[in-house]
Amino acid sequence: MPHLNAAYNLARWLARDANDADDVVQDACVRALKYVGSLHGNEARAWFLTIVRHAFYDWLGRNRPSEIVQDDGTALDTAIDHAAVDPEQSASRNDQTQALVDAVAALPLQYREVLVLRELEELSYKEIARVADIPIGTVMSRLARARALLQRSPLLHAVAGNMSGSER
Amino acid sequence: MNCNEAAATIAAYADGEVDRLRSHTIRKHLRTCPSCAAKHQELLALHARIRAEIPYFKAPSALRERVLATFADATPARGDRVRSADRWRWMTGGALAGCAATIVAWVIGTAIVDWRTNEDLAVEAVTTHVRATLGNHRVEVASSDQHTVKPWLSARLDYSPPVRDLAREGFALVGGRIDYLDRRPVAALVYRYRDHMIDVFVRPPTTHAPPAALRTVRGFNVAHATGSGMDWLAVSDLNAAELSNFVARVAQ
Repeated sequence: MPHLNAAYNLARWLARDANDADDVVQDACVRALKYVGSLHGNEARAWFLTIVRHAFYDWLGRNRPSEIVQDDGTALDTAIDHAAVDPEQSASRNDQTQALVDAVAALPLQYREVLVLRELEELSYKEIARVADIPIGTVMSRLARARALLQRSPLLHAVAGNMSGSER
Repeated sequence: MNCNEAAATIAAYADGEVDRLRSHTIRKHLRTCPSCAAKHQELLALHARIRAEIPYFKAPSALRERVLATFADATPARGDRVRSADRWRWMTGGALAGCAATIVAWVIGTAIVDWRTNEDLAVEAVTTHVRATLGNHRVEVASSDQHTVKPWLSARLDYSPPVRDLAREGFALVGGRIDYLDRRPVAALVYRYRDHMIDVFVRPPTTHAPPAALRTVRGFNVAHATGSGMDWLAVSDLNAAELSNFVARVAQ
């Protein structure tokens, strides 16, 4: 089953919950099966991710409709559940890394999705534009905003402050 | 190139999205402008940190198995059915992913011709009906007034579904919503008959062969009719005879 990892990763970062990501990917696979006729060769991954994204938004509308409009990034408490991250990774992961993970998870949905598509899935601007159904200019401005939010994230600065304080 | 121009393209440059000519101009600017060069470095550093530190979530094996089961279900038993061990091997082979994609697409593509029959449409209609009921997402426009529901739907679709009020026959219009059926958004009209909820999916006629007039899927009845230049598919737990009569009436 090609691209299942990509599908799961996107769903996982959008839904920020392992079980919900499962549901979204299952739904996306059922849809993919139906839409398979519209598959174009090596665009398969972007095409599948488009379906995952649609499945996610439908799921969001049914299960957490308030998040569609209210996700302004202030909801840090809904940040990714740490327990679901591989325990081996988290043992070796320092506070800085955890802060970055939390900061990405706390990004508003529309910024989080372009960031994940760009940085983790390594899609081109053009592909992201197609997946997220927005113009390339919007891809660029959302990416810029996502990065600016990360760079200015209080989560990162809190940790950076502690680190530099303790080192001295 | 000045700093304003550079600011607009530094991110695209860092993402490798800038053509060679402009890359050259930006490189030249970065060499001479410390503040833009610092911005560029920050972007690259963030880039590197995200790629190194943000987990890439791999699909759990339980999910993978369930998805494969979905595919297996959808592929009707054929003479040369692939054994599941074999399927696993080529489906999971990362190096062969591209190749596998083609094979999967081909296998499914052939299967889909058989599978995407009316059976599928009826099942999908029932699934959609159940999902709307469970998700409490039955109506997006709640109104018993056909003159409210129809324009609401027309504004969201590339066709205008006829909406009839059959309250006098006991079928009260509850409202409507946009749903997905057979790869495209469709108008879903919601009626209530005694305690039964009825979803009616209205869409322009398709090029497929018309579905069976009546089917039963998981205890739900699915009745089909054509009329008023539209294709009508009613889904409900209402008994088959009454549902057939209703869909014929509403499609008139």
